Amino acid sequence: MLSEEIKKVRDKFDFEISTVRTPDQLEKIRIKYISRSGLVSELFNQLKKVPPDEKPEAGKKLNSLREQISDKFNQLKSSIESKNSSTKTDLDLTLPGKDIFIGSKHILTQTLDEIKSIFKGMGFSVFEGPELESDYNNFEALNFPPDHPARDMQDTFFVSKDFLLRTHTSPVQIRVMKNQSPPVRAIMPGRVYRNEAVSARSYCVFHQVEGLYVDTDVTFAELKGTLVSFAHQFYGEKLEYRFRPSFFPFTEPSAEMDISCFNCEGRGCKLCKSTGWLEILGCGMVDPNVFKHVNYDAEKYTGYAFGMGIERIALMKYGIDDIRIFFENDIRFLKQF
Amino acid sequence: MKISLNWIKNYIDLSEISVEEIVNRLTMAGLEVEDFVDQNVLYKNLIVGKITEVKKHPNADKLTICKVNDGSQDVQVICGAPNVAEGQKVVLAKPGAVVPKTKLQIAKVKMRDIESSGMICSADELELGDDHTGILVLEGEFKTGTSISEALGLNDVILEIAVTPNRPDALSHLGVARDLCALFNRELRIPKIELKESETDVHTLASVEIEDKLNCPRYSSRVITEVTLKPSPDWLQKRIKSIGLRPINNIVDVTNFVLHETCQPLHAFDLDLLARHKIVVKSTGEKTKFKTLDSKERELSENTLMICDAEKYVAVAGVMGGENSEVTEKTTNILIESAYFNPASIRRTSKYLGLSTDASYHFERGTDPSNTIWAAERAAQLMAEVSGGKIAKGTIDIYPFKILSKEIKLRLTRITKLLGYEVAKSNVVRILNKLGINVIKDLGDTLLTVVPTFRPDIEREVDLIEEIARISGYDKIPTISKISITLDRKTDDSKFHEILRDTATELELNEIINNPLQSYKLASLTGSAIGISNPLSSDMNYLRTSLIPGALTVVSNNIKKGEKNLALFEIGNVFNLKVNDPIKSFEDFTEITSLILILTGFKTNRQWHTRDESYDFYSLKGLVNAFNRKISLDNVLIDSYNANEKSIYDNYFEKILKDSVIGAGGQVKSDFLEYFDIEQNVFCFEYDLGKLKDVPQNKRLFAEPLKYPKVSRDVAFVFDKNVTFESVRKFIIQNGSELLKSVSIFDLFESKELGNDKKSMAFNLEYFDWNRTLTEEEVDNDFKNLITLVVKNFDAHLRGN
Repeated sequence: MLSEEIKKVRDKFDFEISTVRTPDQLEKIRIKYISRSGLVSELFNQLKKVPPDEKPEAGKKLNSLREQISDKFNQLKSSIESKNSSTKTDLDLTLPGKDIFIGSKHILTQTLDEIKSIFKGMGFSVFEGPELESDYNNFEALNFPPDHPARDMQDTFFVSKDFLLRTHTSPVQIRVMKNQSPPVRAIMPGRVYRNEAVSARSYCVFHQVEGLYVDTDVTFAELKGTLVSFAHQFYGEKLEYRFRPSFFPFTEPSAEMDISCFNCEGRGCKLCKSTGWLEILGCGMVDPNVFKHVNYDAEKYTGYAFGMGIERIALMKYGIDDIRIFFENDIRFLKQF
Repeated sequence: MKISLNWIKNYIDLSEISVEEIVNRLTMAGLEVEDFVDQNVLYKNLIVGKITEVKKHPNADKLTICKVNDGSQDVQVICGAPNVAEGQKVVLAKPGAVVPKTKLQIAKVKMRDIESSGMICSADELELGDDHTGILVLEGEFKTGTSISEALGLNDVILEIAVTPNRPDALSHLGVARDLCALFNRELRIPKIELKESETDVHTLASVEIEDKLNCPRYSSRVITEVTLKPSPDWLQKRIKSIGLRPINNIVDVTNFVLHETCQPLHAFDLDLLARHKIVVKSTGEKTKFKTLDSKERELSENTLMICDAEKYVAVAGVMGGENSEVTEKTTNILIESAYFNPASIRRTSKYLGLSTDASYHFERGTDPSNTIWAAERAAQLMAEVSGGKIAKGTIDIYPFKILSKEIKLRLTRITKLLGYEVAKSNVVRILNKLGINVIKDLGDTLLTVVPTFRPDIEREVDLIEEIARISGYDKIPTISKISITLDRKTDDSKFHEILRDTATELELNEIINNPLQSYKLASLTGSAIGISNPLSSDMNYLRTSLIPGALTVVSNNIKKGEKNLALFEIGNVFNLKVNDPIKSFEDFTEITSLILILTGFKTNRQWHTRDESYDFYSLKGLVNAFNRKISLDNVLIDSYNANEKSIYDNYFEKILKDSVIGAGGQVKSDFLEYFDIEQNVFCFEYDLGKLKDVPQNKRLFAEPLKYPKVSRDVAFVFDKNVTFESVRKFIIQNGSELLKSVSIFDLFESKELGNDKKSMAFNLEYFDWNRTLTEEEVDNDFKNLITLVVKNFDAHLRGN
């Protein structure tokens, strides 16, 4: 019994003393093992209960334990003390290190990079397009007829009758499809503009990532699979999701994807406006009218498209409550990320 | 759009379906319920109380101490309303109740030392009206202690639904009811109309003529005589109020009721104010003025669709009626307009006038051309009921070109191909039927369907597939976990910019992102700016022509916040006009991507180990060179200095690639900085990335490190001040032997001792050979020779000798 205890204390001491680096730690060890109420003294107290015939043997072991412990302790003590005195040089080691600056990418760039890398991993190419677009590419080819209320969904800055600041990255879909025949699998990040009053929740300039996949057998099921995989990689494996019917002129059927709020895990909070859901993107199957505009055979090919707002994602992800801060370029904000 | 569930129950049996279920299924079928108010919950714990005693509060002038009977006992309530009086029946919120508007929970409190066990509510607090000046006094017979849900019939559930622009049919109670029928498999009950018509034929009372048949394909009309205008009966007022509208009078309320019942906007004309009792539908030939019933004179464009009588305009078709034919208290005879207008025409007018009304909102999304008669009759029936009027016999219906229901083929295999799962045919047929879409032929895989005219959004097979998908629920569509990837070459347009961003951050710069919309003043500083036709404000009405003004604004803003040491970069597009005319093609302007580097202040924050080093021209030049090295352009670019006199820079330099300037910068002129309120030096360089992107970058090949020692020689000369480093460097390299591999400067100074027009430059010369060790002698020969040549050529002398 006692000999087992002795072994335990010895092993424990050996381990603990091997981690000691400072005089403070050393003092703690002394109190724990060597002091009058320390573990070694305690073991000596137990000696009384040992049957008389075993006493001499146990006493011997205990003495040897005491010796070993005090030897090791003293050795370490002198080594720590001498180290402290020998390191006394001219250097004041507590002075701060020399500053090394780290540059930073804007948090919107970082968010976009993360999104891009996920989709690139799934075999998507990356295409870009101009911000000053034709009405045709931005609206008509995407099945927004002139004089259609669907245009009210996107308040537009015009520079002339036929040219405008693109309201979404979707015109890049048209550019890509006009340039190549299927299969097309691409994401299209970029800056977009909306003629909307500036507030904490909306700014007249923001960024989107568009996605497009066209091939012979692309289904809604594949759209769901791809976006759920994205959401799991970007927001975490645990989230719940749902697809809700919605309306975009260039997709049919159209959907909006919600994920369970990662702030409150679906219980309802300010971020999700007590709904438990966060709307993260719009998507759908490419409308046959769009295929018509780019001369794709709508009978042969099917495809899906999706789009998400980078600012919205960054706001949610980093707990920022005012979208305008992204464009203020306060260096103290920029250096945080 | 607000939908009342009590109202909708007239068209569908919703028994055994919970509010939560309705909200959830509608949302998951595309009619997103953004919010809903269940009055049973909202008015929980609010009861009818009777004020039995009112006393002045001893410690407050404006407060009274009321005893309010709650049906079983009197409770003491402190009240601040001026209109409180004994004997009134009021709405009492007892402790625990929640005030509907503020959502605050009532608790027992002391107000100026006197206990208050509840609150007497105002109409505003109850969300029953706008009045917040005093408490709501209940007029009529109410039993004390009953809940106000019961007493006032406040047991409705109001849904706020966001209807997408493709669903004009869902902008009404019948429309939402139809979706609910499909979702919950119930029967739609369309109200039956039974009219008691008078002997007088409507055609003897009024006539209708359509001149612009394109924009007005159908005009139906009913006439009601001998009406009395008065407030609507309670049931009608309640319906109107439940969806957030204000009751006006019985006639207007009926038109609003029918609009929200079935999506058909109606207009009631005072028949006696229509010249010759005639309606003519035509478009304006030229610009004209017209006073709408909101008493506003409006300017109409040419080709505005108008409703006229025999002499004059009486309404802007589909948007708003005119003051001259409005129904008033004197009105006795009414002509009901129930028309179908061309959606695009109404939208153009509404946009032109900047006037969006309930009517124009429905018309521009598309109403049901087949429903005009039903709506006119429904309105006639209700008007007669609530106004005592008589319905003239017959309907006037002008319908020159009939709009037919569409026949669309639906292939079940196509559903599978698009959605990725099979929907049973029986389900497909059931869903279509519930939505009012008839399957007229079953050809096995293909169903031939007829789509009713109230669904203008359903034009093709794919639109039918969406209906199947949305009513079945998108959650039924499988989420597959495998995708195939083509092995084609991948493109990445953003790669080059990514490399630049990586480089910039390695070089300790912080990225900024600016709004490209600027004031004309800023945008025109650096180029020919493109204006926005419909800007938000005058500080965002042009597109930037360069990244410089935006970056300087950022510098200025940060300095104002005390952040004076900045090293920033931005990559963004800049826009320049190439013509003076409005932009008609992509040839008329340029959009290029720029990269700007900007330095100002000190390189580091104040530190204990070193003196502060401030950014200067050479910091910028070094930064630019580091960039060029990173993108492998360091050995192909030519520098040019102070080439452009109009430049905004002092100490201006350009980087040139094959005669084309790919970037330029320097120290920003102080008068330019003044514009931005900046008093410290700013250094900036802007690259035109368009010119760089397609340049084939030099391939870096491995070079074996030198195996033999280098021999190094230092020498310092005193030159005239105007001798440049580069000219000397070049001279030495040109005149040195093959073994001389590099010349660098390691010291530069000026002093009084040297003389005012002199400077000293010290050079390090490096000699080596790839294949052997050099002898000191051969190096010395060349070195001495060079010294002599430099002295002679530049009229210099050796320093330190």
